[in-house]
Amino acid sequence: MWRASSTLTCCPNENQTASQSGEPAMTQSNAVSATGGMAKAPSFAASLGDFFYQRRWSWGSVFIGLALWEFISRVIVGSKLFLAAPTQVVYALVDLSGSGEMGKHVWTSTLEFLLGYGVACVLGVALGFVMASSKAGKQALQPWVAGLYATPTVALAPLFILWFGIGILSKVVVVAVLVIFPVTINTETGLRATPTQLVETVRAFGASSRQIFFKVSLPSALPFIFAGFRLGIGRGLIGVVVAELFGARAGLGQLISQSAETFNMPNLFAGVTVLAAAGIAMTGGFAWLEEKLLPWRD
Amino acid sequence: MSDAPVKLSVANLSKRFGSLEVLQDITTQISSGEFISIVGPSGCGKTTFLRIIGGLEQASLGDAHLDGRRIEGPGADRGFVFQQDNLLPWRDILSNTEIGPEINGALSPEQRANTLRLLKLVGLEGFENYYPRQLSGGMRQRVNLARALAVDPALLLMDEPFSALDAQTREIMQTELSRIWEEGRKTVLFVTHQIDEAVYLSDRIFVFARRPGRINEIIDIDLPRPRPLSIKRTPRFVEYVDYIWKLIEEDVRVSVLQEHTG
Repeated sequence: MWRASSTLTCCPNENQTASQSGEPAMTQSNAVSATGGMAKAPSFAASLGDFFYQRRWSWGSVFIGLALWEFISRVIVGSKLFLAAPTQVVYALVDLSGSGEMGKHVWTSTLEFLLGYGVACVLGVALGFVMASSKAGKQALQPWVAGLYATPTVALAPLFILWFGIGILSKVVVVAVLVIFPVTINTETGLRATPTQLVETVRAFGASSRQIFFKVSLPSALPFIFAGFRLGIGRGLIGVVVAELFGARAGLGQLISQSAETFNMPNLFAGVTVLAAAGIAMTGGFAWLEEKLLPWRD
Repeated sequence: MSDAPVKLSVANLSKRFGSLEVLQDITTQISSGEFISIVGPSGCGKTTFLRIIGGLEQASLGDAHLDGRRIEGPGADRGFVFQQDNLLPWRDILSNTEIGPEINGALSPEQRANTLRLLKLVGLEGFENYYPRQLSGGMRQRVNLARALAVDPALLLMDEPFSALDAQTREIMQTELSRIWEEGRKTVLFVTHQIDEAVYLSDRIFVFARRPGRINEIIDIDLPRPRPLSIKRTPRFVEYVDYIWKLIEEDVRVSVLQEHTG
């Protein structure tokens, strides 16, 4: 029953062709993609309601957690110096945004993140390519990549601040160092994982090694490379904040450390909240981008 | 042998992998427009032979000429249909089919029209913008065929293209291939394990023997065309199948035993 209707949804006019040739019409994957398409059909309001209903336990859990937090900080702890309640954090967020202070911090951190992340992605892909395509390159780079990936390089942040100053450059370097390794490793892995029979297929048509790279190896490695980019987001955010904690003129990490020193818990939590939101938004945005750019995946 | 001009000429072709002699001194000629099948037991080198003609492997000795030109490597004058469909999962059916012309810098509105015509020919009109994962195995194998035809090859090389399909789909694909071949009369070199498939499709069958791989016998299939599927139940057809089976039976028995005893 399900199979029959999904076949119709998937290929309205081609159904005929398939059955004419007498093939067992549609595959499992077809049925899956068809049902996926049907899920998108209902109206926006209905799907929004559905969105909340499907995740009702998550929403409930978050709501109860916030209520508990509010209760504990107001009634049990009872001091803003130790713990700020969610409502106080919201006030702090509004205040900081209104005065333009939050804007300054967010701008600084964003700039540091984007520069470091961008540089790391470009360099990481290039290094991964070198490691995948040259034996000498692999041997020369492997010990450094493996060693530095395993090292908690955030611990080197104070050193980078000593070398590159208190401005944004030191943070850019910290972010880049943290992001580059997952990108490099994933790029190399992805390029190596290219199915040999796909390479052989284009080779049979007379493809040059350059064409093999751009038409087969690179597209085949893209899901891996994207996974590396996605891993890099979390690491990059950690890099920005930790580097700023060790010394900065502005930035979310600086806001957090300064607030901690002055026992301004609402501001501290406001900074953390913005960071968490940025992390969630970027990871979610990335998943969306992957779906747009790699629509051929299951 | 027909009177048509020689398309492929193979002279003293041998192939060794280390000390293992895979192909020994193969010499033969194939005329333009012929449908040739190669059957033989596992390990008789039939796929290696096809890959050498496709330029994917080098002969150890001897050579092959296609339309008078020595085969040195892969090229768009041959269309290779692989055992697995090997479609690029990130390309839709249209751009998968066109990859041969694309690689050879031959994309054009005329080529596009030709690609669409080929997709129609293999029964996939309307599927141009689907991704491979959305298609059944039989449909993907049709794209595999259309892709090979899209370079308008002088010689079509097919390596057990239907072996991954279920028995029914396979029978249908045989009739489809026969129909498509009747329309274009390409020269085809078709490797298969299925004797009835070879008899059904071919003008001539090269029966290979193993260790070392060599042509044991060449059989002319004198059955009228077009061939309906029901021809498989005629006495003539069954006679051909029996005869070829007897030729390779002993070899197959040995190869099966060897595979099982390691």
